[in-house]
Amino acid sequence: MSKEPGTTFESRASELFNDSVEQLDGATLSRLNQGRHKALAELQKPAIVRWGRWAPALGVAAAATVAVVIMNGQPVVDVAAGPVTATDFEMLIEADSLEMLEDLEFFSLLDAVDAETNGNVG
Amino acid sequence: MSTRAGVFAVSCTREHSTGARALQREGQLNRFLAEVERRALRIAEIAVRDRDEALDLVQDAMIKLARNYAERPESEWAPLFYRILQNGVRDWHRRQKVRNRVMVWFGRGAGADDEYDVTAQAPDPAGRAPEDELQASEAIQRLEDSIYELPARQREAFMLRTFEGLDVAGTAVAMGCSEGSVKTHYSRAVHTLREKLGDHW
Repeated sequence: MSKEPGTTFESRASELFNDSVEQLDGATLSRLNQGRHKALAELQKPAIVRWGRWAPALGVAAAATVAVVIMNGQPVVDVAAGPVTATDFEMLIEADSLEMLEDLEFFSLLDAVDAETNGNVG
Repeated sequence: MSTRAGVFAVSCTREHSTGARALQREGQLNRFLAEVERRALRIAEIAVRDRDEALDLVQDAMIKLARNYAERPESEWAPLFYRILQNGVRDWHRRQKVRNRVMVWFGRGAGADDEYDVTAQAPDPAGRAPEDELQASEAIQRLEDSIYELPARQREAFMLRTFEGLDVAGTAVAMGCSEGSVKTHYSRAVHTLREKLGDHW
């Protein structure tokens, strides 16, 4: 293992490193072997199982989304975009609404009178 | 009836072909990992100075490669594997920094029991004259110490190029940077190591 003349720095480092790799003990090699077989076992798992490992994360994400929606209050309902027909119908059958309709007849009468008056003047 | 039999035969042939391809891929991956695992372990060990941690990092890298990149061309495996491993090493160092900070808060810094035990990690001296073994052991230890003291990117570039033998392009993929950066990091690493080890090595 002595340094040979003319050997570059990198090749000397590489030689020492390779030497240390060759001398790894049996217990370490055994653990590497086990690790490799665990990795190869991944290939046997169907894709759905491999994606299944994200299930807890997806569950947490979904729960967080629901929590954010709840914390931001009730969803805003656009009144204008609501069920207009039903609302109008309710207004029409109320007693006040009938009075309003009578008023409308009165106001239309006033309009007609105004029109006639203006015509005469003109 | 004959059409049904034909469809069945084609289906069986396809399944057989897919199964054979999967087996072939598994064999290729097994050979690749067996070929690379010991050097990867030593590279990780030099970077984190702990064999057990290095074993965990290498195993994680092997599993991630098999899980996510087994279908990629075989020529891409080495850079991808080392990229995963280097990311693992970087994460490990980040966790260690946080851990050390927490330990300082509790009044216990990186104590003597956390130090890397050179004797325990020394290679098996079997089959070699004691003086040669001692010389080699001291030389690799000095080299490892000096590499460990390098900035992280220089350390990665030096080990991937010199120990793993990746070319500049492969090292760039493994490090997630440009080829120019690899050359710079590598050149600086060699310069620093030469200066440090110099005549005593």
